[in-house]
Amino acid sequence: MSDVLEEESSAKQEEEERLQRELLFATHIVRAIDVSKTYYLGAEPVHALRGINFSVRRGEYVAIMGPSGSGKTTLFNMIGGLDKPETGRVFIDEVDIAALDSIELAWLRCHKIGYIFQTFNLLRVATALDNVMMPMLFAGMQHSDAQDKAVALLERVGLGKRILHKPVEMSGGQQQRVAIARALANSPSILLADEPTGNLDATTGLQIIELMKELNESEGVTVICATHDHKMLDLSDRIAWIRDGRVERFKKRSEITITEGRADARE
Amino acid sequence: MLVTCGIVLALAFLTYVLYSDALLRYAVERGSPALREVLRESGMLSIAESADSRIQTRWMVGLALLISFVGILNAMVMSVTERFREIGTMKCLGALDSLIIKLYLIESMFQGLGGTLIGILFGLALGLFEGLGIYGSETFGLVPLLVLIKIVTTCLLAGVLLSVGGALYPAWVAARMQPVDAMRQEV
Ligand SMILES: Nc1ncnc2c1ncn2[C@@H]1O[C@H](COP(=O)(O)OP(=O)(O)OP(=O)(O)O)[C@@H](O)[C@H]1O
Ligand SMILES: [Mg+2]
Repeated sequence: MSDVLEEESSAKQEEEERLQRELLFATHIVRAIDVSKTYYLGAEPVHALRGINFSVRRGEYVAIMGPSGSGKTTLFNMIGGLDKPETGRVFIDEVDIAALDSIELAWLRCHKIGYIFQTFNLLRVATALDNVMMPMLFAGMQHSDAQDKAVALLERVGLGKRILHKPVEMSGGQQQRVAIARALANSPSILLADEPTGNLDATTGLQIIELMKELNESEGVTVICATHDHKMLDLSDRIAWIRDGRVERFKKRSEITITEGRADARE
Repeated sequence: MLVTCGIVLALAFLTYVLYSDALLRYAVERGSPALREVLRESGMLSIAESADSRIQTRWMVGLALLISFVGILNAMVMSVTERFREIGTMKCLGALDSLIIKLYLIESMFQGLGGTLIGILFGLALGLFEGLGIYGSETFGLVPLLVLIKIVTTCLLAGVLLSVGGALYPAWVAARMQPVDAMRQEV
């Protein structure tokens, strides 16, 4: 009798802990606190990030704007666990990524985050199909399953007829779409997109923006996207302006007016 | 391609040294009287039987091994460094460090095996060609099959081990880099 009670109370406690965890997780999926990064060109320091604070809630669609060289890509590398901050901390799902060992980091990069790099970073020797399959194989998926999913993803980005092409045999926009398909391979919960529509014409760009919005809305994928595209800004929940390695402003979509090519904070 | 060439050259040299040494040794030991006469006249018999020549051969083999080692190591370091970007990309996509090391070791093993086999063939051909000039038609039966197999196995092992060993260090370095640092490497 007392055993049953004890079990019940421990179950209750577990449930409570789970709820608390969920509440915590529900707040921020990405949190960068006071992150800085300095590159050195010879002896000359380049302060790419100067103590940046930046957090994103689960399921949010955040756009990042900023002039060239303001530190967007560097910030992406930090919150994607691809580089170590010099000072400050980065939390993903409330886990300090500095505390992860190399295996846990690889797991995080593989399952949790989908990257769309500004420079695509496709493997030159591999076909579009192989490029998209790679993260799935890293995740331990069966070869045939990975292949099916990769074909479906490539079709989704409109490259169904190009699956056996190598990057050099494709246009910039097509490569970009392969990179997008690859980023979605392991159904990540965070999508980090560094100017994903930079090389695309208006129509294809719109398709990609809509695809990202759809993932965000129907599957709850958190999207963080560096962009200058006003259509993208229009769809986002919040917009961050980055300048000289700092977040200058971070506003809700409703607080700003977006006109062609510009996004201004409402005074 | 350059990598394979390096391995081929190194192994051709090693095989050639070992093979031509074996040819001379067995020509002295079991060559026909006529052949021994030819060798004596050309002075090669006394050379082959002197203690100096044994030491000299050892030196040659040692040198060949050293050249192979340096050549292959250099080739492997180059081939892995060329692909830092690729390694960085794979790390970004969630590849484990151990997987990257494994991948490159397997690849360099095949590369090493291919280069080694071609190199051995070249080396044997070279030795045979030279041997035909000295020992004539007796060359073919001179070295016992078992010894020949031993030479080939030694060279094969040396080639593959050196390739894998040469790839291990750069692959390990690359696998442990921050992914963005690896991706940024320009070679
Ligand atoms: N590997 C590096 N070595 C030295 N300096 C670097 C390096 N990477 C970036 N920087 C510098 O850091 C700053 C921020 O670069 P970053 O790539 O983050 O800018 P960005 O906002 O992504 O620009 P863009 O819109 O052009 O992509 C720049 O001043 C750049 O020169
Ligand atoms: Mg950038």
